[in-house]
Amino acid sequence: MINFACKSIFTIFLLILSINSFSHHAFTAEFDANAPVNLTGEVIKVEWINPHAWVHLEVEEAGKKTTWMVEGGTPNTLIRNGLTKQSIKPGTVIVVRGYQSKGKLCLPRCIANGRDVTFPDGRKVFMGSSGTGAPRDGADPRERR
Amino acid sequence: MELILEREGNGWMKITLSLILILSISFKSFADNDHHTDMHDVMAHLLTPASEKIWNASGFIITKEGEFSLEPINQEEWNEVIFGAKVIMESTFILNRPDRAKGREDWIRFSELLEPIGKKALEAAESKDSEKLFSVGADLYQACVACHNVYMKK
Repeated sequence: MINFACKSIFTIFLLILSINSFSHHAFTAEFDANAPVNLTGEVIKVEWINPHAWVHLEVEEAGKKTTWMVEGGTPNTLIRNGLTKQSIKPGTVIVVRGYQSKGKLCLPRCIANGRDVTFPDGRKVFMGSSGTGAPRDGADPRERR
Repeated sequence: MELILEREGNGWMKITLSLILILSISFKSFADNDHHTDMHDVMAHLLTPASEKIWNASGFIITKEGEFSLEPINQEEWNEVIFGAKVIMESTFILNRPDRAKGREDWIRFSELLEPIGKKALEAAESKDSEKLFSVGADLYQACVACHNVYMKK
């Protein structure tokens, strides 16, 4: 009897714990932390819009061109980090590290969450937002504080 | 006979404990889901469309062909932003309704961020200041994320 009561209490505890652990972050709702991407391509379009800026890249792999839409932080955050309308212009070839969306069909284009962008001169800039639940991968300078 | 009674008693205890277990979990799940559904509706039908009226009315799209501004081009489009800004202003009170906010101090704090942001958006829309609206849009997103990180469910 005591054994059963203990088991019951433990089960209740575990179940309540599991119910309470469903709180989520914006990143995990849309992007796959287990699908990192490293994209090199030419910028074809930049959307400086809230709540997220979007950088469209044309990535060529094995002779095949694929368009990627990479989500960044808010435009204001990017400007504070040193990314401006002048620095990330169409025609610039950049390298973006990030994570692909949970949906991987790439129809009509592939989607990723951008963590950092590297320019032709080697300058690397954080292009995400802090506190969204993205993996702590060293891209966000605030993580190191 | 005693053994049977003991077994039956044991059985009833098990049933009672199982019922307590099921009811306690169901009650918690029901309370959580009820609040979650209520908030999902408020977000989907009120806050998200209102926020999008602010976000979609400022910014730029840049391609090789040039730069395209999203700024409203007539009073009718600015009125849409004014509508969105007023909804965001009032959202503080909608979210702070006693049955939604009672005993949740951080929820109240997050909700209270919306009124001044909505007011700034309203001022920007009334003065047709697209740059200010762009900046307020970023503040609005930060307020949303701060709350979602704590309260939004998968």
